[in-house]
Amino acid sequence: MIDSTPRPMILEDAYADGEDARHFQLRLVDPQATDLAAQPGQFFMLAVPGHGEAPFTYVRAPDAEGRFSALVRRTGQLTEALFELQIGSVLGYRGPLGRGWPHDLTGRHVLVIAGGCGLAPLAGLIDAARDNAARLQVIYGARHPGAQVLARERARWRLDLDYLETCDVASPGERSGSPVAHLDELLGQNIPDAVLCCGPEPLMLASAEHCLKRGVPAVHIWLSLERRMHCGAGLCGHCHIGASYACVDGPTYNYEQYLALTRAAGLYSTAQAIRHC
Amino acid sequence: MHTVPSICAYCGVGCGVGLRVEGGRVIGVEPQAGHPVSQGQLCAKGWSNAYAVDPVGRITTPLVREHGELRPAGWDEALTRVAEALRTSLETYGPLGVGVISCARASNEDNYAAQKFARAVLGTHNIDHCARICHSPSVAGLSRTLGSGAMTNSIADLDEAELILVIGADVTENHAMIGARMLRAQARGARLVVIDPRKTRLARLADMHLQLRLGSNIALLNGLVQIILDNGWENRAFLAKRCEDIEPLSRHLAGITPEQTSRETGVPVEQLIKLARLYSQSKAAFIAYGMGITQFQSGTNNVIAVSNLALVCGQVGRPGTGINPLRGQNNVQGACDMGCLPDVFPGYQKVADASVRAKFADAWGCAMPETPGMTSLGMTKAAAAGQFGCLMILGEDPVQTDPDRNQVAHALAQLDCLVVIEMHLTETAKLADVILPAASFAEKDGTFSNCERRVQRIRRALPPPGQARCDWQILGELARRLGHTGFEWQSAEAVFDEMASLSPIFSAMSYAALDTHHGLQWPCDAEHPQGSPILHQHSFPLGRARLLPVSCVAPAECPDADYPFWFTTHRLHFHYGCGSMTRKSPLLERETPAGLLFIHPADAVRLGLAQHQRVRVSSRRGELITRLELSDDLAPGTLAMPYHFREAPCNLLTNDAQDPITRMPELKACAVALEAVDEQAKEEGAHARRP
Amino acid sequence: MLAAHKLDSPERLRAHLAQGREVQEMRADGQGGWHWQNLAAGDGLPFEPPPRPPLTSAKPLFFAEREALFRFDGGTFYGCLPEIEPKVLFGVSACDLRALAYQDQFFAQDEHYQRRRRQTLLVGYDCGHSCAGGFCTAVGGSPLVNQTQADLILRRNGHGGWTLLVASQAGAEAIAALALPQAPEDWTAERDADLAQVRAEQGAQAEITAGIAAIQAASVEPERWEALGLRCLGCSGCTSVCPTCSCYAPLEQREEGGALLHERVWDSCLYTGFQKEASSHNPAATAGQRVQRFWYHKFGTAFAERFGAYGCVGCGRCDVVCPGSIGAHGVMTRISRP
Repeated sequence: MIDSTPRPMILEDAYADGEDARHFQLRLVDPQATDLAAQPGQFFMLAVPGHGEAPFTYVRAPDAEGRFSALVRRTGQLTEALFELQIGSVLGYRGPLGRGWPHDLTGRHVLVIAGGCGLAPLAGLIDAARDNAARLQVIYGARHPGAQVLARERARWRLDLDYLETCDVASPGERSGSPVAHLDELLGQNIPDAVLCCGPEPLMLASAEHCLKRGVPAVHIWLSLERRMHCGAGLCGHCHIGASYACVDGPTYNYEQYLALTRAAGLYSTAQAIRHC
Repeated sequence: MHTVPSICAYCGVGCGVGLRVEGGRVIGVEPQAGHPVSQGQLCAKGWSNAYAVDPVGRITTPLVREHGELRPAGWDEALTRVAEALRTSLETYGPLGVGVISCARASNEDNYAAQKFARAVLGTHNIDHCARICHSPSVAGLSRTLGSGAMTNSIADLDEAELILVIGADVTENHAMIGARMLRAQARGARLVVIDPRKTRLARLADMHLQLRLGSNIALLNGLVQIILDNGWENRAFLAKRCEDIEPLSRHLAGITPEQTSRETGVPVEQLIKLARLYSQSKAAFIAYGMGITQFQSGTNNVIAVSNLALVCGQVGRPGTGINPLRGQNNVQGACDMGCLPDVFPGYQKVADASVRAKFADAWGCAMPETPGMTSLGMTKAAAAGQFGCLMILGEDPVQTDPDRNQVAHALAQLDCLVVIEMHLTETAKLADVILPAASFAEKDGTFSNCERRVQRIRRALPPPGQARCDWQILGELARRLGHTGFEWQSAEAVFDEMASLSPIFSAMSYAALDTHHGLQWPCDAEHPQGSPILHQHSFPLGRARLLPVSCVAPAECPDADYPFWFTTHRLHFHYGCGSMTRKSPLLERETPAGLLFIHPADAVRLGLAQHQRVRVSSRRGELITRLELSDDLAPGTLAMPYHFREAPCNLLTNDAQDPITRMPELKACAVALEAVDEQAKEEGAHARRP
Repeated sequence: MLAAHKLDSPERLRAHLAQGREVQEMRADGQGGWHWQNLAAGDGLPFEPPPRPPLTSAKPLFFAEREALFRFDGGTFYGCLPEIEPKVLFGVSACDLRALAYQDQFFAQDEHYQRRRRQTLLVGYDCGHSCAGGFCTAVGGSPLVNQTQADLILRRNGHGGWTLLVASQAGAEAIAALALPQAPEDWTAERDADLAQVRAEQGAQAEITAGIAAIQAASVEPERWEALGLRCLGCSGCTSVCPTCSCYAPLEQREEGGALLHERVWDSCLYTGFQKEASSHNPAATAGQRVQRFWYHKFGTAFAERFGAYGCVGCGRCDVVCPGSIGAHGVMTRISRP
């Protein structure tokens, strides 16, 4: 049976990490084996008592002491309340939930495309893949330099990774525009074995289409979709994508799954809809 | 689990609901199958009634102000304090310095008790309620032309109409079950025409939409009448038999051309002619109108212009016709019917009439004052001038919903004592010296009257939380403390029976009769024991109806170089009034758009503004910060804002220019300026230009 | 069926089942409505099923429209599970039982639902005629109770009396003490005749069949959905009365005494805010998209395969409550037109 009661965790520390974003250091009071097995790209439900629960991904998965971290951007009343909390506050935790990034990246050429806060669900994967992937390339886009998140992680990656940054509004002399615009330059003649993408939905879809054109099979392009989530158990209905619930079947889908789901469901985009309103 | 039949506590449509009670609380709501008005359906607000009466967040004990703070108190302490304040104010200012603002959301029994309390205990006709800011022009206008201000027909008449003409009403959003019935009527073959400056949902679905320029109602209606007269499409038999001389009106309109009307209203000539023909030639044409007619400084004249159109074509007094104002609140009709107006006793018996005063003096055992009473705006103005001592407000939130809220708050602060009877800590309640906790509609027996004059039973499904009580019980206890008898009712039914015995139009009504008939429509007397679904079938209260010439006046404030945009206010389907009830539903609250200022996409492009962009809106009276919502509902050049949200109180901007007859403020039109602001700017940026 | 009995009176059966159980039955409210309600001990009123299913199905008796999930006292989170006494639902129609079977699958891992479900004995009722607006036979259902979906099945027989079919072991045990006589053999033929009768009364329902085909082929154009969306007021009526709808939202409340309570309440996928994210991005921003998804959920192939049945049981409640006249028939007619 599903347990919808959160377990307690402690807010141990937090620091500003990008525009309106904070990086929270959390500790599970009673970590269990399942917590330690959390995979990059999975998520947990964070409860701020009195304000509800919301899904966040692990930047760093729980260690033996139950310590882990998560990046949170202030967007609504729950995150507003979270930002106001004192160090030492008790929060609620349910997790790990959903499906993470594919596991079989060893020896592969991996391309990571991130946009905005979409870098957070990829952070754990980047750290894992740098050790076992044959080649790892990362491109990260943000609206402007101030909007970039995970400053400490990026500083590390910049030193020893094939890592690029671009901004919609860049400082003079810096790379600008959408990450998609730089893919050809980044890849040269090579075709990656796996593309992992997380960011605003239009960016993910544009990246997927671009890679598809470049010859990456749709099953090797992975997207992490953002949806409103409450139960984390495929019941409350909010995170639907066609016949699938992102909280249990996702949030990571390969592009072929995504296309099949939306096509079978006859889903159409808001942009298409507005043309007919 | 059991289900208690009642009436929805939101708008004036009066839909039947079943309150689903379990474990001592209302956990859900369902439509009453077979209800004559709602026919087994509800809107989003109706389905969410359970949240509005949830005990969580309610005021459950009396609160009194001490050292500037509100603290819980017993009933005895609180009522003693109110009684003393009233006594002191009466001594200091006389009966004109005290008053009661009653509530269009409370029951008829509560409203009857409120006006009786004002008149018999306080000795003043200072009794009013919020109809002032929705339909007082309907009452004034239709009283002048027909002699009675209510909906002339019934909602069910839509089923028999050949043409349905909706003017200045967003029916599917605000009176959704009437809107739904209009759409069903259209599906069975009726023509649906909408006159509205906004492209509302109904306008999009209608057979024809006349998107007139804001504030040009009279020009349009006069133009239509003139086209009808020019073509000889008027109903001569009706005019001859039922109306006073049309000559002054035809002289007034003579010479108006369709082209001129088109220029003044922005409506194409073909649409004008087509509608004039349709309306005049239909076998039965039903007019419904809303606050797009009344909330102007020319509100009363707007209503008269509507009335002229209907009378000229004889579209009154028959099934499927009528002049039908759509009232805003669940019991705004009832609050008027009960005499919560400064100039009438229950059943519209005139205060000015000495024999009526004598009748009530006799029935209530005390002299009735002769001095006319003040309207709610009159009372707040008197308060601002330091001429008012104690005001009691029952369940209304004028600070949030009245125009120019800074003025209202300032006026209330000048009172010696503000008493508020409320369920929730509203913006007005926060200013009170004493707050008395009120029972919700689910916690009391009583009646509501919907906009078609149907008096319907509400039933107690559970006890009030904490120490909350019905308004009539609170007022009765207060009357006793002030040494008055005649308030010793043991039940809501006893209050109703007293009211019915004193009001000829309700004389044949009783709870038993209401139960049997799914409610009854007044007049309901010996002659009409089954009530009156259609008024004026054979004659008007005035005898013959009057055709009064009226002219279009521009809104008091029009756009200029400093304030280049038209600004209007409206409502959202998911919210109601000040939001104190709807916003307790997590589902309705979630519907609140991030942007609250509606702007045409072309205006946004021209100013380089994006969807959800943070902006400052300012008028000559105040300014606030909100977000943009792009919508082609509006014509370019016009901005609109819903008034439900305390975070962005649009009445900081609106104009309090008033209708000279009813003092209805011009909430529907003023001029504003718009500019983008930094993302970090918070809503707290809202403030007034003057203290 | 495990057995078929002749039954002299449904009231005697009900009184027997009431021993040790709370009984719930549909009763008229005198204002035109019917509701499931608890019967008082010793209630002996005649068993009279309503002429059509009541507006509120048996759904809230299992999937409560509002219930607490957990409480937080400042340091610890406590789960809240309902304590349920044994009960019997007396006289459930085949369509509502079919919906319940659908929900049983959907909420298989939901302890709140299953606690209520485990304690409930279901007494079904075979419909001899179609209700007004019903179309169970067009969506793979039947007016006859499926024996896997009830414990006992009541039916009027052709001789003016009653037949009681035993559909589960729990049902057999519940009536063992009554020692009911065997029913005459003709009950199967009578059931076949009832089915044929209801099929004839409901007719071909061609728009329903064509609409299902259009949804499964994903062949309905966005403009058609958007035109339907314009008629959707987002009232939540259809999802509230639909016996298979199951979406819910959280509600945070502060209890008297200061503890925080996390409840779940029925939600509706037709609300604009249903999928709206905190960032204000909304994957289903238009009413047409939401109406489309609602009907895909009812008739889409993927859902039908997962549950072995459509998410629509043909009860017709959505047609009744929709202010925009876009219940099942309204929608299916419009999307199946060429």
